[in-house]
Amino acid sequence: MRTAAPHVGAGHAPAPTARSSWPVELDRVCVTYPNGTRALRDVSLRVEPGEMVAVVGLSGSGKSTLIRTVNGLVPATSGTVRVGPHQVTALRGRALREVRGHVGMIFQGFNLAERVDVLHNVLVGRFAHTPAWRSLLGRPSAADRELALRALDSVGMLEKVWTRAGSLSGGQKQRVAIARALTQEPGVMLADEPVASLDPPTAHAVMADLRRINAEQGLTVVVNIHLMDLARQYTTRMIGLRAGEVVYDGPAPDATDADFEQIYGRPVQPRDVLGAGA
Amino acid sequence: MSAATVTSPRVDPPVTRTALPPRPSRLWPTLWALVVGAVVLAAAAGLSITWDELPALPGKVAGYLRLMFADPSWDKLPRALLETWRSISMAWTGAILCVVASLPLGLLAARGVGPAWLRLGLRACFAVLRAVPEVVLALVLLTVTGLTPLTGALALGIAGIGTQARWVYEAVESVQEGASQAVRAAGGTAAHVTRWAIWPAISPTVLSFALYRFEINIRTSAVLGLVGAGGIGSMLSNYTNFRQWDTVGMLLIVVVAATMLMDTVSGAIRRRIMEGARVRDVGRGA
Repeated sequence: MRTAAPHVGAGHAPAPTARSSWPVELDRVCVTYPNGTRALRDVSLRVEPGEMVAVVGLSGSGKSTLIRTVNGLVPATSGTVRVGPHQVTALRGRALREVRGHVGMIFQGFNLAERVDVLHNVLVGRFAHTPAWRSLLGRPSAADRELALRALDSVGMLEKVWTRAGSLSGGQKQRVAIARALTQEPGVMLADEPVASLDPPTAHAVMADLRRINAEQGLTVVVNIHLMDLARQYTTRMIGLRAGEVVYDGPAPDATDADFEQIYGRPVQPRDVLGAGA
Repeated sequence: MSAATVTSPRVDPPVTRTALPPRPSRLWPTLWALVVGAVVLAAAAGLSITWDELPALPGKVAGYLRLMFADPSWDKLPRALLETWRSISMAWTGAILCVVASLPLGLLAARGVGPAWLRLGLRACFAVLRAVPEVVLALVLLTVTGLTPLTGALALGIAGIGTQARWVYEAVESVQEGASQAVRAAGGTAAHVTRWAIWPAISPTVLSFALYRFEINIRTSAVLGLVGAGGIGSMLSNYTNFRQWDTVGMLLIVVVAATMLMDTVSGAIRRRIMEGARVRDVGRGA
């Protein structure tokens, strides 16, 4: 295995520890969008607590839909999704928001409020756990504030706490987004193409951050990725999706090029690997 | 070509005709021109203009302009400035009323914030309000609140809601989806999304539109004065009725100068707000 990129700002405080790590279980899940697109076809899988899983596939293969069914951002058309003790597919409204409060998510586009400072972006992670008046006024309790600051420290962004998110670089934004998810004290961490908008060294650093969180806290991590080398290097298990169906499920580090060709449904191309960072 | 014939005895190459692509039909443009022409003629005919008085018109206008501006009377200037101040107060109060009312209404009318039935109902109300001119609204309000600047402020505040709220919901709908999705993914409610994803993104635009509303109101408040809502417009209307042209000239100078001054100041602040927002976005460090 290639040496990993150095952890950016190594030697931080440990991230806030998860209360407990959750399994994720999909049972015969189908998703059909209103426009008729069948994004997931009869997907069943189980992710054990503390696993670090890559979901691999071309764009349009259903990766994003799969990850969004886990926190109910995309409702399953049929089948059941279980996260920890909750059956997500049976929940709505307040109960669904409560579960989402324990499922961290990071995005390809970072999805920060650009004109808001880093601290208040990270405090978004406490919304589901805080009285509405506090979060709407932006007046966190001392405990929430401490959680946010510790999460920022663990990704090396503490000194940027008063900076507007819009003036950060891409890598810094993604680390703030990771801190936002960690502040939720999540049972599962979902990542939807977290490094697709980053340059190679920064991409390696962010993947290393995710792996460190997985290793240090035993937090379940499910990460969507389309690059072969990142999946092999940073994750332990790989689920391959093609046209909404699971076509591969096995250990990630020794997945061969042939396995990837089977998932992609075409020969491997240079753009399927990121290359060495750092 | 003339230069070539003068300096050299060379014979011009034989003229060859370039094959022209077929010209598009002129039928529809011609028909439209005829229709527009007919409409103009019909409109002019309906006004029963006495054309023989037309040649005397420039002379008359010049006469009145001389009466007003040759020697404007500055005796009433303090009173004029006071009335201008009342007009500005009317415009400012109206702008605040309008912005305060249109912000929540506009947010609720945005796609993805309020429910569909509320959105459609509110948008219909905005459309009706946009169709009512401030002056008409002021005439209606006069019967309730009387001949006071409050009437003007209320008319400006209510009549502006239609446009102002529309600007708000259009701003909300142009916001990038990302931050809202992240708040929802973290278990946030619609209120959380509005406060921490939508509001930060639209606040500079909304602030800029609020100042723009103030600028519009400054101009409109003079017109409202004409129907008796107080301020510089009422004074202008009175002295026109008294036919004291030298004072009217002074008042017109004050109105134009005050409006231009407020426009400039407010426009400069508005530019500062929008540019400030943009510069900070562009200036992202490494």
